[in-house]
Amino acid sequence: MSRIAKQIFDWVDERAGLRELSDKMLNEPMPGGSRYAYVFGSILVYIFVIQLVTGILLMFYYAPTADHAYESTQYIINNVEYGWFILSFHFWSSSVMVVMVVIHMSQVFLWGAYKKPSELVWVVGTVLFVLVVAMGFTGYLLPWDQRSFWATTVGIEIADKVPLIGDFIGQFLRGGPTTGAHTINRFFVLHVMILPLAIMGLATLHIYLFRKAGPAGPYKGTHGELTRTSEYFFPRQVYKDSVAIGIVFLITCALAFYEPVELLQEATPEPGDYNPIPEWYFLFIFQMLRYEMFSGEWGQIIGSIVIPMAFMIWLVAIPFIFRNPERRLWKRKLGIATWALILFAVAWLTYDFSITEVH
Amino acid sequence: MLMQPKIKMKVVGSDRDVGEVANVIADPVAKTISHIVVRTGDRGQRVVPLDQIAEVSEDVHLRCSAVTVSGYPLLCRGDYTTVHQQEVAGLEARLDVEPGEILIPVPEGDRDIPRRGFFTKFTVAINAVLALPLAYPILKFLIHPMYGAYDNTWVKLARADQFSDVDAPRSYRFKKTLKEGYLERTFDKSHWAMKASPETLEAVYQGKDLEFRDKNGDVYWVNRRNVPYIVYSGKCPHLGCGYKWRSTKKYNMAFLCPCHLTIYNIAGSVLTGPAPRTLDVLPVRVTPGGDIETIDVEYKAGLVGRVRVI
Repeated sequence: MSRIAKQIFDWVDERAGLRELSDKMLNEPMPGGSRYAYVFGSILVYIFVIQLVTGILLMFYYAPTADHAYESTQYIINNVEYGWFILSFHFWSSSVMVVMVVIHMSQVFLWGAYKKPSELVWVVGTVLFVLVVAMGFTGYLLPWDQRSFWATTVGIEIADKVPLIGDFIGQFLRGGPTTGAHTINRFFVLHVMILPLAIMGLATLHIYLFRKAGPAGPYKGTHGELTRTSEYFFPRQVYKDSVAIGIVFLITCALAFYEPVELLQEATPEPGDYNPIPEWYFLFIFQMLRYEMFSGEWGQIIGSIVIPMAFMIWLVAIPFIFRNPERRLWKRKLGIATWALILFAVAWLTYDFSITEVH
Repeated sequence: MLMQPKIKMKVVGSDRDVGEVANVIADPVAKTISHIVVRTGDRGQRVVPLDQIAEVSEDVHLRCSAVTVSGYPLLCRGDYTTVHQQEVAGLEARLDVEPGEILIPVPEGDRDIPRRGFFTKFTVAINAVLALPLAYPILKFLIHPMYGAYDNTWVKLARADQFSDVDAPRSYRFKKTLKEGYLERTFDKSHWAMKASPETLEAVYQGKDLEFRDKNGDVYWVNRRNVPYIVYSGKCPHLGCGYKWRSTKKYNMAFLCPCHLTIYNIAGSVLTGPAPRTLDVLPVRVTPGGDIETIDVEYKAGLVGRVRVI
């Protein structure tokens, strides 16, 4: 049997070049050898695949229309076997993905791995970051409960304030003046078609550019040492990635199991007792907009548009600002200080939100 | 099989040395070497066909003489690409050469650069001609539901005799039926309404009737300053959340938005928080039957001025 299997494989391989392809994919020399520090890119690929699989499963029952979205989501949670788990797993994976993206980016930044020749890897990565956040935002509306409705309504009101094109963006996303039937269709097509295709394309480009530039490797060690200790991606790094992915899988399972998604009331512009709050990774900006300095028409534009845009531009520009080839952490005080400041600001704003009473 | 010539090998003619192998030229169809490029002593590079090779050992031995070699055509580099520029499937597996430039002849029809430019330009032009007429229908298709007419119908919020106390606002729900595209839905919505004391009325209207204008600037309704009922839009003018009338630590009873914590007084003015304007006063009328009615107007949040959205 195995002889026949081998003959079939050889026949296919002769025509498709599978061995050569897999050799090229797996025999990627990693200077300095495999490490647990390198697992985050693979974790993100894994979560993306999980989101595709669970997302496709949810579409077997979900109806993206304003009159049935809520009911069909309730049906998934309450009636379809394991529906609650698949939906919750999808929900929690999105949060885990945001965390992993932040870790992945922080690591590349702190290691100086975005520096020449890897600038484009970083630039494409920042676009992927925006797409992942957009996936979170568009997915949030789909269950069509009060949480969904108000997060989207407020989110689009913010987009509406972008100078010149804001009104068009807002109307375009909503498909009209208010969050309603067209909005859910539009968010659905963004969430399940446009954004995933964009992520697939750009992630492929990201990995291609990464392979083209080669792994940055550790920031210390002589060339000779790194060559001597270098290892292929397979098997040791693939093993380490798998261990890390297993841990992420278990954490997500635990979150889905102990904190399953529960819907609030169906979406309606009558808030009742519900106090709108966005998903946790938007809380810092939510809290920021409460501050006096971001009040009024212009304060709000500064807080919700100018600062995030400036941050994104800074993010994209990082490889072109910090061009010194020095990669050692302790020699890059400005970069480290900026990174620490941003993370501290986000953490502090989120903490401040948690201690602010609505009174 | 003949051992294949390799780059840098010495080339020996039938009479004497002629130079060394500078390149090999591959036939992309047959996937074999068809010529060698011999760098002769005078720095010229001659293209010698493979059938002139008698033997390949340490050196390449030619059948012909050095004079014959100098009669072969000079290499015209522009007529060739390399394997770095052109994918020839399976070529490498069949060549036994040292790594280096394997030259592949460009098809003769493609050596004419002006024609290449012509084809490039017309390919772009044809695709543009196909794409441009599609852009307009696609745009119209996508923006179809975005800009509709305003709805100025009156909706009943409450009955005038429900208001026993003055300056005691309550949220009044009503059913709104909306047809979006093909889908007609009925859902709950609410606005705040109250019977206002003369002081509150004065604070809200500041001695003037309040005019409501449509897109063309025509007045579609006027709130008279002496009508004691006030309706505030349920949408917070900061970012569109729903606010509540409740006791607050600093201001006693006030309108408070739980999102970004703007607090408004009974007259809708901002006491604290980020909102850029006062609460939105909506058209109000009392029917002969004693119903308090309003038009479900909504303004854009986040702006100082009022831009109507529905």
